[in-house]
Amino acid sequence: MGATASAETRLTLGITSNLSTVNPYGDSASHLYGLWGEVYGNLCRYSFEKGGYVGHLAEKWEVKDENTWIFHLKKGMKFHNGTELTAKDVVHSFFRMSKDPESSQKQNSSRKIKSVEAVDDYTVRMISHKPTSSLLSYICGLWAISSKDVYDKYGAKEADKNHPYGAGPYRLKEFVIGNRLVLEKAEGSPFLRPGSPDIVIVRKMTESEQRVTALLNGEIQIAQFIPPHLLTRIEKSKSARLVPTSSVEIMFLAMNPAMKPWDNQKVRQAVCHAINREGIVKALLKGQAQLLQGPIGPGQYAYNPDHKPVYDYNPEKAKKLLAEAGYPDGVEVDLYTPVARYVNDKQITQAMVPMLGAVGIKTKLHTPEWVTQWANVRKGKVPFFYQGRGSVIDPGPALSQYFETGVSPRINFSSAEYDKLMQAERAAFDEQKRIATLRQAMSVLTEEAPACFMWTHTLQYGVANKVDYQPRPDGRPYMSEATMKN
Amino acid sequence: MLTYTVKRVVGTVPVLLLITLLVFGLLQLAPGDPADILLPEEATHEDIAEARARWGLDKPFHEQYLTFLASAVQGDFGESFRYKESVTELLVQRFPATLELTFFATLFAVLIGVPLGVWAGARPNSWVDNFGSVFGFFGISMPSFWMGIMLILVVSGYFNLLPSAGRETYGVAGATITGFYTVDSLIEGNWKGFVDALSYIVMPAATLGVNMLGILMRVTRSAILDVTHEEFVTTARAKGLSGQVVLWRHIVRNALITIITVVGLELGTLLSGSIIVETVFAWPGIGNLLINGLGTRDYPLITGVVLAYTVLFVTVNFLIDISYGAIDPRIRFD
Repeated sequence: MGATASAETRLTLGITSNLSTVNPYGDSASHLYGLWGEVYGNLCRYSFEKGGYVGHLAEKWEVKDENTWIFHLKKGMKFHNGTELTAKDVVHSFFRMSKDPESSQKQNSSRKIKSVEAVDDYTVRMISHKPTSSLLSYICGLWAISSKDVYDKYGAKEADKNHPYGAGPYRLKEFVIGNRLVLEKAEGSPFLRPGSPDIVIVRKMTESEQRVTALLNGEIQIAQFIPPHLLTRIEKSKSARLVPTSSVEIMFLAMNPAMKPWDNQKVRQAVCHAINREGIVKALLKGQAQLLQGPIGPGQYAYNPDHKPVYDYNPEKAKKLLAEAGYPDGVEVDLYTPVARYVNDKQITQAMVPMLGAVGIKTKLHTPEWVTQWANVRKGKVPFFYQGRGSVIDPGPALSQYFETGVSPRINFSSAEYDKLMQAERAAFDEQKRIATLRQAMSVLTEEAPACFMWTHTLQYGVANKVDYQPRPDGRPYMSEATMKN
Repeated sequence: MLTYTVKRVVGTVPVLLLITLLVFGLLQLAPGDPADILLPEEATHEDIAEARARWGLDKPFHEQYLTFLASAVQGDFGESFRYKESVTELLVQRFPATLELTFFATLFAVLIGVPLGVWAGARPNSWVDNFGSVFGFFGISMPSFWMGIMLILVVSGYFNLLPSAGRETYGVAGATITGFYTVDSLIEGNWKGFVDALSYIVMPAATLGVNMLGILMRVTRSAILDVTHEEFVTTARAKGLSGQVVLWRHIVRNALITIITVVGLELGTLLSGSIIVETVFAWPGIGNLLINGLGTRDYPLITGVVLAYTVLFVTVNFLIDISYGAIDPRIRFD
């Protein structure tokens, strides 16, 4: 099914997440940011190859002062209806992201920015509310740039549904809510590669067995997220192969210091020493994960390769720490995990229960529905939980969100030293200084252990042999980066 | 007949009211808030409060319910929190897929289950009866999600005979006329589209219908056995009618009321089963929509889909009741 008689090349991608809305600002899921980026184009994107942000519709940017950023747009970038993309379209896109009542992106993409204005046709000035050195992480790969003229002519709903003209490498051909999205190559786009597929079909396929079967019998050419127990089916195939990528989703065990016994740092550290992470990765994740020695791992911004492991598997040390914390006879705790949200989440936490029990932390495991757990986590009501935080390329925003005092009540952690370092990293526009400050903050976090940082998963994609594709750690499906082999 | 129809339609109103009240009440009791789930990680308490106000969730229960009812009587079920589309529009788009799947599943169950049951009942304790009984029990005992995954693995995976998921190959189906892809392709004379649509529906329909098939086979068998011992059957035989004429004209016709009643009852099970089957086969019907709605506590969507299922169930049962009169002239509706 890869090619039709007219030699039109088709690539079908089976994804696990929902195709929720045709409004490019209506959902903040990673895969949709990627797909809308392919239709509308982004100002800039993160390049994992280069380890930094690169221009897409913007040619370059500069920081004028600690609150003023100037973006220079590429000249001659055309929307799919033939009109030229200019600075007014960037201003309009900011307006939609921040003001559209249906926007789900105002919370994470535009909030740091006070205003956006067009200096001239190809220059955009952005003013941030506060000095935010990580500002690009709120913009690159997130902002889809849509046409102001089309919006003015048709209004939001009609423009999104029937006139979705972007300046990306693919034009939107069909969007069936919750089911399928079809993209057609925008001939002449500078973002296409030789061999980029003519038609891209994105199908929602939640069942992993189904994705693997569809890949092996040629219905689809790329299958997202192959779970460990199905890897061998693809390994044995002659028509497809596994292509791994590391994830930028950090998995951790959070301990809420607002509740006992988690107010005691030594109890938290005892948990980190009690869990045999190597054993879990080997037995339950079939080796498909990389252990974290701090909040982030290789490939993520400001990762410190020289950082020495702080928490080895050491039950004796865990017992000692627990006794020093005032619990020589052990302590009873409740651990919460969602089921089937993360790879083998229930099995992993089940394995942790006896490990924690062995050092005196008698653990009762709770497995609420994800929606219940997440609502309670958001309100800071869950004492001890297994969770992931995705899209952590630059760790600044995520680590602030979870661990900085007063930013969110999820973990209720508070450390004056950590807060000070996080404020300093946001104000540091010198990259080396910022990296050093972030690393210091992460060391404090690791030492004070409001969470045990566990691992990042290795994401396995099934890819047909006739396709060249390297999936990205952030899960953005940039299909123009895939090429069809002859 | 008209009076009966009017009475039945009027009788449906309290059922629908009760269902909406139940769904609304249960959703309020269920843990998890739509705004908590649907807003991104970075959303603050203020964002969540703003979204709740925009969706009317900050209002008291009775006010939310009455607002919903006032719109629902005009065919407006509100806008989906998740999909940001009118629920009515989503139902119109997705309903034909569920109807088509349900129709083919029923067809599969009736065309195999009833003849097998008649055959087994006409020859009790023969190999046919034993085979039919085993087949029937197999159908009744098989969980549909397991059967679906097995079919995907074997038929699609191992033999590569049929597509594993979805409803059509992109670009093969023609224009949407009725929303039933098999019918639309026939109307357009698009044979390729017809075969394509059939190839996609075979496995989900078989998965959905296999349980009904088992029950129909068992019920038909015992209905045939019951009627076989009636005096009018002995009389018919004594009059010298052939075995086939007695079986099909007298026994089967008199057993039909029981069979059709069971078909009606089982359609309810079939409809609820479609929720799982649609998920397993990525079938774009309203069951699939419901699962997505439940996962995000999309109140308008859940209520709309449950109401659609209720209307469908009530309508099917009404049609079954009407059909009694056609089958047995002794039944009158006045």
